[in-house]
Amino acid sequence: MEDKELLEKFAHPESRNLAFNQLVRKYQQKVYWQIRKMVIDHDDADDLTQEVFFKVWKNLENFRQDAQLYTWIYRIATNECLNFLSSKRRKFFLPLNDVAAELAEKIDSSPDITGDEIQLKLQKALLRLPDKQRLVFNMKYYDDMKYEEISEILGTSVGALKASYHLAVKKIEEFIKYH
Amino acid sequence: MMKEDFKLNDIPKRNVYKVPENYFDRLPMRVMEQTAAQEEATVSINSAKWWRLGRIAIAPLMLLLLFVCVYFYNNNREAEQKDTFAIQQIPAQDIVEYLDTYATLEAADFENLSVSHKGLAAEFLNVSPTSAEEELEYYTLDESNL
Repeated sequence: MEDKELLEKFAHPESRNLAFNQLVRKYQQKVYWQIRKMVIDHDDADDLTQEVFFKVWKNLENFRQDAQLYTWIYRIATNECLNFLSSKRRKFFLPLNDVAAELAEKIDSSPDITGDEIQLKLQKALLRLPDKQRLVFNMKYYDDMKYEEISEILGTSVGALKASYHLAVKKIEEFIKYH
Repeated sequence: MMKEDFKLNDIPKRNVYKVPENYFDRLPMRVMEQTAAQEEATVSINSAKWWRLGRIAIAPLMLLLLFVCVYFYNNNREAEQKDTFAIQQIPAQDIVEYLDTYATLEAADFENLSVSHKGLAAEFLNVSPTSAEEELEYYTLDESNL
């Protein structure tokens, strides 16, 4: 079902639940994987995904259709991830590297994470990047998003995003080279 | 020692994370349940919050209402006293001159005058009591004047 049709159905109380159910089915994987790559742990990603869709439910009536629906949902998911990670740091008074170390430990120990050595090394290298740069990398590298779309979600210029991505690639290559 | 150059493109793109079995089949239903539960909780929290706030606010609101009533009552009394005081300050002669110039008096106005003001009526009409009595002899009384 097209987004426009989903939104029209959502606007009517009798078809609201059905439309929302279809919206969740349509976007759940994109939202979940975006979050999962940022927070690593499945339970955290599950909680945040549900929270994202609850916010979508609450605010969908006010959604301005001049933006794409998925861009809007992606932005909510992005904010949830960034807030979650920064509150994790505040809660435990942890600097960036300690959160990265905690998440890297999960990569080594979680049965939900599989892959050969180089794949796991790539994930650990990603954890060394600042949160926003990691988001940019994930959107470009894994989701093949255009810089213009990323720019709309993060509110950063295309030029700055290109520079951030190329810098991220350099850092990752350096990390894998020396670890 | 420097290791050989490594390029990101050398690594095949692969998702290393797994989800529990049938996770995405169940997620929409769980989201719907959680949405309904949170919505319900938000509504009950909101109504409880408003009820609690209402109960807390009732005492200050009553107090405020009391102050407002007392304030307006005092203001009205002050205004009335000022009006009375201002009228008392006007000399009787000025009032008589004012009425002489602007007021149109009818017979009914004289009926309202008390006995103590009879002299004022005579003075105001500028006629002697004898002339007034003579005039009244020709005045025909009907039922509405009684």
